Amino acid sequence: MESQVNLVDLVLMPLIAFIVGMLMVLLMRKIAARLQRRIGPPFFQPLYDIVKLHGKQTQISHGLIHEIGIVMAIGGYVAAVTLLPVPGMNGIAEKGGLIALAYMLMIPSLGLALGVGQCANPNGSIGISRALTAMLAYDIPFIIVVFGVAFMFGSTNLVQIIAEQQAGGIATWGIVQSPLLAIAGLFGLQAMLGKQPFEIYIAPAEIATGPMVEMGGKFLGGLFVMQCFQLYAASVLYTSLFLGGGENWITFLLKTLFVVEIPMVIAFLFPRYRTEDVVRLVWKWPTLIALLGLAFLMH
Amino acid sequence: MTSLDTLFLVSAATLLVALLAGRHRLAGPVLVLLYLAQFWALINTGTLYGDPVDSSWVITVLDQPMNWRYDALSWLFAMVTIGAGVLASLYGAGAWMEKYLATGRSGHAFHVALAANVFSMVLLVGAADFLTLFLGWELVSWASFLLMAIAGGIAAKAAMRYLTYAFSGAMAILGAMALIYAEVGSLEYQPFIEAIPTLGNGQLWALLLMLGGGFAVKMGLIPFHLWQVQAYAETPGPGSAFLGAISARMGLYALIIVLIGMVGIARLVQLEIPYTFLSSRELLAWIAAFTIIFPTYTALQQHDARYLLAWHGVGQGGYMLLGIAVGNAVGTAGGLLHIFNHAITQAALLMAVFAVMYRTGTTDLNKLGGLVTRMPLSFLVLLFGIISLAGIPPMAGFVSKWMVYRSLLTEGMPLLFVASVIGTLGTILSVYKLIHNMFLGQLRVEHEDVREAPLSMLVPMLVLAVLMFVMGFMPGLSISWVAAIQAQMGLPVVDYHLGGINDPRGALDMIWIVGVLMAGFGVGALVFFGLGGRSKRVHQLDNYAGGHFLYAENRYHYTDNFYAGLMHLVGSWYRGSFAWLERALVSCVDFMAYGANGLYRFVQPMLFVLVAAVAVAAWAV
Repeated sequence: MESQVNLVDLVLMPLIAFIVGMLMVLLMRKIAARLQRRIGPPFFQPLYDIVKLHGKQTQISHGLIHEIGIVMAIGGYVAAVTLLPVPGMNGIAEKGGLIALAYMLMIPSLGLALGVGQCANPNGSIGISRALTAMLAYDIPFIIVVFGVAFMFGSTNLVQIIAEQQAGGIATWGIVQSPLLAIAGLFGLQAMLGKQPFEIYIAPAEIATGPMVEMGGKFLGGLFVMQCFQLYAASVLYTSLFLGGGENWITFLLKTLFVVEIPMVIAFLFPRYRTEDVVRLVWKWPTLIALLGLAFLMH
Repeated sequence: MTSLDTLFLVSAATLLVALLAGRHRLAGPVLVLLYLAQFWALINTGTLYGDPVDSSWVITVLDQPMNWRYDALSWLFAMVTIGAGVLASLYGAGAWMEKYLATGRSGHAFHVALAANVFSMVLLVGAADFLTLFLGWELVSWASFLLMAIAGGIAAKAAMRYLTYAFSGAMAILGAMALIYAEVGSLEYQPFIEAIPTLGNGQLWALLLMLGGGFAVKMGLIPFHLWQVQAYAETPGPGSAFLGAISARMGLYALIIVLIGMVGIARLVQLEIPYTFLSSRELLAWIAAFTIIFPTYTALQQHDARYLLAWHGVGQGGYMLLGIAVGNAVGTAGGLLHIFNHAITQAALLMAVFAVMYRTGTTDLNKLGGLVTRMPLSFLVLLFGIISLAGIPPMAGFVSKWMVYRSLLTEGMPLLFVASVIGTLGTILSVYKLIHNMFLGQLRVEHEDVREAPLSMLVPMLVLAVLMFVMGFMPGLSISWVAAIQAQMGLPVVDYHLGGINDPRGALDMIWIVGVLMAGFGVGALVFFGLGGRSKRVHQLDNYAGGHFLYAENRYHYTDNFYAGLMHLVGSWYRGSFAWLERALVSCVDFMAYGANGLYRFVQPMLFVLVAAVAVAAWAV
């Protein structure tokens, strides 16, 4: 099987991911604002923020690894989004597949963790310890979901998974074929995106004991870019696994924006859980639901 | 004289040189050359892609011939052994040895122990019948004991514990051999393979449990894993790297030749555990899965870098066995490949940790920090190592783990898949703690003057780092070895190319993935360094401290109880059940010993003589 890789795709896909990601950040802020009866930021606010942060005069670096960590965080996502097929572009999706994607998505987290570690601030390290614990929590239901979907379609190739879902319309979508896995996946998504109630490690109120404690200027700007990519990657992955991917650009954008909007709406209903309570909750409910969904599939 | 004889001769010569001239100042470098000669002799046998080679020496013991034969599987294990020998001896040849001698230790003993290990393992993996296998097994056990015990103190104690385990294992193997001899009338492989279909399930179970249990001890499979960590961690630097890289895999070698080569996966699937739904293959896979999980999460709790890595060494063995137990083309290939990938990873990690120990005198994770500014190359090696150990692209460890995951997906084994991923997640947590506590964070006052590791130690570390990257970038190079093994053993052969695995339902091409990843890092670097203002480096104490004034003696590094939140939840799950089991066994033996002792003391000795005499007379009559 020798599928051609279009180099233009590889350039376009990260760009699209970045732009759609900024759109998602905007959407999130708008929803948050409307829920709090504010107007919310203007359309280009995410871009303004990134430019502002990069243009700041004071840029405090705590050493080379601090800088390389941010580079890894952005670079890892730039590479990972080429594994996610979008309408008309497959990138290198056929060269990697679902398992490679799941592990590629850990590279930015590792970069961030290294960068924060180099800051020599124990508060940052505590934040990373919490973030990694949360990752251990939500990756378990997530990985059951990934196994379930890959098993359901008999493939780890995302291009095939999407094609098989699109073959029969909504009836063959992952969410219809295995609703339990889709629910568990949604839970995992909430935690993966770091939204309430699972957001203690990056919560604004916890800045002093979070990974961001020594991040400012373009370091924070880099993490802002990373957040755009993170939102994009998580929602496109969910769309590809359960919502049949994008038939064309319009449905693609609608679906992915819809997926991002769900955690946002849920987020404001909840307080914030402590890290160990996140683990306890995520290892109980979504894991159980995912296992149940898996049991139905294997049967 | 065949090419295999040459290999054995060179290996024996290395041991001889170590024995006779181990005290000489130049012994280290000369031995490195001799290990290189062994490597050349191994390549020269050409048994990987060519036909198996027999040794021309056949020793007959009690009418049983003992002969040696190298095939592709032997080649892989011998290659890793000798390669580890080359790099470990290089690591220990220069500055490390000077410091080792300066502490009053014997360089001679170290050279002899390492050479004996390599020699005995080279012999073991060439065993062509059970008697030779047992001989090699015992030699390896004694050689490992030698290497573990030379550090004295705790290490000697750990080595004694190992010896107890190794002997129990050897007894089980000996028992199995007696059974085989009684059943087949020969200790050679071929008659046994022919007799297997005629063996009843009960007989086969007994054989497999005894052989498997014996081999599992060496491999450190649950529940026989307790000896390994302390014994490996306390061994002096290069010795520890060597043992961590390959020693425990000898158990896996024996398991492969018996379970896969002789009995075969098909028979294992048929062989059911009475009164359950499980087959013996599933039992094996679950032992592997628990061997992944328990040691990995024990590693998470360690606060000594050497112990942390040694626990991971036990855990990673589970992935190899899991892939092999799954038994399809990708799975076996992944399991076999992980032997090599883990060997280079573990050796690099341990060498980096011992380089830090060389410079700072400690591996206590609560007494280090911030060393990246002082030992950047060691940091780089450790970083490559942890990425590979955790199985994240672009390093070699990812490829073999990917293959194991892929095989579990294909075979539809969800719980094993989840178990192996849980192990990987635990690995990520614990290796971050490792690199964070040693190299990141605050540099201590007493480490201000620490320098990079000496060149003789850096070279093997960097070689391993390059290997990890290259074997991750172009895994086809190493997959070709395991494909050759599969072809020779008559297993389904994995469909591969230079970049990875061909599979219409989910392929892997690392050349593309790594290429795009590097390009992504390039873009990230352009964005970060190109756009935005110049950053200013600040001193590590120029830091947010909630209003406090930081000064040099302040400890401002978060190390102890690193995952406090997680431990708050799962801490009580660590029950030490296996340690409890071991203690219970020891107490049992102690109790029996006390009983015997009591009998001997309090009963008239004359009575014993009388009883013995009556027994002898009764037997004679």
